[in-house]
Amino acid sequence: MNPSTLLSRRDFLQKTGLATAVAAAPLILPSGLRGQNAPSKKITVGIIGCGNISDSHFPAILGYPESVRILAVCDVDKERRDESAAMVNKSYGSSDCKAYADFRELNRRSDIDAVFVCTPDHWHALVAIDAMRNGKDVYVEKPLTLTIQEGRALVDAARKYNRVAQHGTQHRSMKRFHDVAEFVRNQGLGKLDRIECYIPPNNRHCGATWTPEPVPAGLDWDMWLGPAPWRPYTSLGCHYNFRFISECAYGQVTNWGAHYLDIGQWALDMDNSGPVSVEGHGEFPSSGLFTNSTKVDFTVRYANGVPMHCRTRHDGGGTVRFVGERGWLDIARNKMSASSNDLLREMQASGKKIQLPLSNNHHENFFDCVRTRKMPIADVGIGHRTTTVCNLGQIGMVLGRKLRWDPAKEEFIGDDMANRLRGRAMRSPWALI
Amino acid sequence: MSDKASASAAKATRSAVDRKSNAGTTPDPWEACVRIEYGGDRSLAWSVREEIIATPPQGHAGAEARLLKALARPDCTDAGRAFVCQMLVMVAGATSVPALAALVRDAKSTEAARYALAAIPGPEATAALRDALGALSGPAKAGLIGSIALRGDASVRYALAGIKDNPSEAAIVREAATRALEHLANAKA
Repeated sequence: MNPSTLLSRRDFLQKTGLATAVAAAPLILPSGLRGQNAPSKKITVGIIGCGNISDSHFPAILGYPESVRILAVCDVDKERRDESAAMVNKSYGSSDCKAYADFRELNRRSDIDAVFVCTPDHWHALVAIDAMRNGKDVYVEKPLTLTIQEGRALVDAARKYNRVAQHGTQHRSMKRFHDVAEFVRNQGLGKLDRIECYIPPNNRHCGATWTPEPVPAGLDWDMWLGPAPWRPYTSLGCHYNFRFISECAYGQVTNWGAHYLDIGQWALDMDNSGPVSVEGHGEFPSSGLFTNSTKVDFTVRYANGVPMHCRTRHDGGGTVRFVGERGWLDIARNKMSASSNDLLREMQASGKKIQLPLSNNHHENFFDCVRTRKMPIADVGIGHRTTTVCNLGQIGMVLGRKLRWDPAKEEFIGDDMANRLRGRAMRSPWALI
Repeated sequence: MSDKASASAAKATRSAVDRKSNAGTTPDPWEACVRIEYGGDRSLAWSVREEIIATPPQGHAGAEARLLKALARPDCTDAGRAFVCQMLVMVAGATSVPALAALVRDAKSTEAARYALAAIPGPEATAALRDALGALSGPAKAGLIGSIALRGDASVRYALAGIKDNPSEAAIVREAATRALEHLANAKA
């Protein structure tokens, strides 16, 4: 989700009038009584991580009061979890929603069907795998995981435990992106020459040094760090800003790259594969708390020769442009343009030979699949492949040399150092097992 | 003294003064990187990182030796040790195992050392991790068990089974052993 478009929890309550609304508490039956895929079953949900990104999920999920029920929230920050639980309870007019400090307690509740993983990136894999091990379906915010190895482990867990697992790349449920990907897949642009993705720059900055601070009351800093290497607390490096610290995330490469590179993957029919090489150059801060690239520039190349570029754009939001022998199409969340109107008209025409699955709402698609046990529109297998492209870009920029990638084996060819960067050991007691 | 000799002497004097007027000599990044502190200037460590990344494979052994020398410095800080071990993740081989094996058994340094050991392929690193089992307790032991399981070290099954069933072990350790045994069984299957 784009942080700039999100409503805060308080804004949401005020704008929807839910702050004063009191609804009768609906009957909730334990999932075991009626079966998870019974049409009448109300899907019960837990939300793990009550920070910035969850602000997009609460209103969406509370928008299905007849079919979905939030039973629990979890955050290592007491203020956030208590505020979120209070908001949910106020919305439902009940006190059913419980607040947890430890995600494992929430995951062990037998009356919860699905979990939304909205934590910082370095936690995604462990939280989602634990949820699936405990029988939950999962909706995992993007990027799917921090490292390539974590992504593979998460997908393996989804298959092992037969869970519905949606990646939070909601562009897959936006018709505009669907139509472009389908048009390109049907050779609408003729022979594809290249894909150009532009992502926003880092929107936070800090100085060359920083000062450790006392951990605020109510924040479990040890759990916030979780599998990330230990460092002392600073407010500069916690909520939201984790994104710019490579122990926790890979900056806009994965934050926005997960959205726009994903559409490139879709259009190229690479949902179960990926590029064969990467080459890039990033500008990384040589001191200070933030370690991720301030300027991104990398290119992955596919076996058919098509390159996909990813660069920082300083003059606007993210876009993806497809350039082919018949012209170009440029698409963002709120606009679309083309080298000719004919291309736009052709794109809207029906009857294409290759038809991609269509979803108009990412949450609805997930909940439908929880009921039907079908594969969601952005299954984590797809998400893993897209997140891998982001990771390839990150590793390519870090190493600053051309790397060859084997998408079948998911390993670099002939570069031991690059292969070592596919994963990382986790801080005790956490491990990817 | 001739004019030429006089000028030369004056120049030498100016040069010496100029040198002394400098704020100080540039520190050796390979020495300075072990003294970094959390929150402090890490630019010299960054220089080391860039040098390591640019080192071709045939130079990895040399880079590894320099990192091990840095790691052995008595003025190594916690942040410095963590940094050096992260650099070892990229280039370390069996040569690093003895130094890391000692560090991984020490509660103060076990985390950083384990991150590096986990990245080193081969039986030496596997053995170093396995041998540290008896030296650690609590969360550190649980993390170590995880790293051992991820390497697929089936030889620890018996030891893990003992840990799993040992009531004197912390719950988190017993849980890690249980999970590790499942992981090893699945990997075998």
